[in-house]
Amino acid sequence: MVDKGNDPAVIWQTMIGEMEKGFNAFANRAMESPEFSKAMNQAGGVAAGAQKQLGELMEKYLLSMNLPSRAQLVGMAERLQSMEGQLNEIKALLVQMNRNNGAPKDGGATPRPPRTKRPPSEGEQK
Amino acid sequence: MSATAGLRSAALDLAAIPERIQSEVERAIQRSIKGVEYIASSGPSLGSTPKDILAVRGTMNLYHYRPMADEIYRVPILIVMATTNRGYILDMVPGQSFIEFLLKRGYDVYMLDWTAPKPEEKSLGMEDYVLDFIPDCVRRLQQDSGEQDVTVIGYCFGGVLSLLYGSIFSDGPMKNLICFTTPIDFREMKLFSNFSDRRYFDVDRLVDSVGNVPPEMILSSFEMLRPASRAVSQVQLWENIWNDEFVKSYRMFDRWATDTLPLAGEYFRAITKDLMWDNKLFNDTMSVGGRAADISKIEVPILHAVAEHDHIVPYDAAKHLIAKVGSSDKEEVMLKGGHVSLVAGANAIKRLWPKLDNWLGGRSI
Repeated sequence: MVDKGNDPAVIWQTMIGEMEKGFNAFANRAMESPEFSKAMNQAGGVAAGAQKQLGELMEKYLLSMNLPSRAQLVGMAERLQSMEGQLNEIKALLVQMNRNNGAPKDGGATPRPPRTKRPPSEGEQK
Repeated sequence: MSATAGLRSAALDLAAIPERIQSEVERAIQRSIKGVEYIASSGPSLGSTPKDILAVRGTMNLYHYRPMADEIYRVPILIVMATTNRGYILDMVPGQSFIEFLLKRGYDVYMLDWTAPKPEEKSLGMEDYVLDFIPDCVRRLQQDSGEQDVTVIGYCFGGVLSLLYGSIFSDGPMKNLICFTTPIDFREMKLFSNFSDRRYFDVDRLVDSVGNVPPEMILSSFEMLRPASRAVSQVQLWENIWNDEFVKSYRMFDRWATDTLPLAGEYFRAITKDLMWDNKLFNDTMSVGGRAADISKIEVPILHAVAEHDHIVPYDAAKHLIAKVGSSDKEEVMLKGGHVSLVAGANAIKRLWPKLDNWLGGRSI
């Protein structure tokens, strides 16, 4: 059996782990500085503005190509989701009505278990 | 080490070299085969514990998981998931699912999970989450279960929302509160605090220009907390790609971690200004929709589970929660692990889940 201390695979894994910790700690120290925050937010602000302009440009392009834009697809997805939501509401109402009528949930599935459980006493198998 | 012992150790190493070479060659072959399989296949199916969707309203989704025990506790559980991530972290695969664990231990489980807010939902604010979505889910849970009391479990920012709900509706139906890694002192989230430094971070400009805050930005800010870890995890994946269990686990957690949700614009604005900048929850000045949210008003039994190596919510950011709530029955438990391994994976199965069951069982009757 190979001594773990001499095992090249273990040495490699330990080295990778230490490098990860070291780099993370170094980067975290750098990221705690106000200069980092300033630089990061300047870059982020530019990117956000560019993203918005690109989105508007893409919208115009898709319109000229007679293709649906993301907003239109999102609108369609919204309508589908709304229909799904209404179906779920109807399903929940039906389940509730069935239950009120004494029928088991899901029209024949197993009824809900009784709410009588007590915590097992100490040493008892759970 | 003595010279004799050193020689003995070296001799042992020499004897083991052929075996070691053979093992490494076998692993190299397995890596090539499994590497192709990895690229060609999809990961395990996640979040598959049987459930019914009770309500879908925009970003809000309420599930009820089908009971798995013959007898259940009287008080149902409502899990409030963090708004940045999907709820299936608590329902990975059979045998590694917190939800399944609770169901088998006899709890009746509901989950308030989130989907990506749509562009037109950018105006959702903190009041929509705390004064509308959570109370609406509680009402639906009461109607569905026939019980008035509820145990609320909040994970990470879901814990913050649960605290806000519990403090505003302190005489409401919440019977127990369990928070996982919930920040309260946002100054102590030092990196996030620096990223959102009010001198340089123009949250109004960001929200006004992009609407909802894109998931890539949320993911980047999480990954920046440990910038080397993604690259190292890729190396570890390649080293262990011959190991099916490692690959399965890697895929589950990697998929979840990168499946980040956008945040509604106004909600993000409120988090930044009220919590990151003014630290209102910690300073007892928080209000939501004009209603004071003072967590000292919470008097129900509370358990706060924190992780020893949490890099997202450091202990300093979470430690004041138990002291600040008004409950007399309160407990903080610190467990080994990180922000995610506290609640999911092998670590959670051994530590958090049994602890939670022991704490909650007697308080659920």
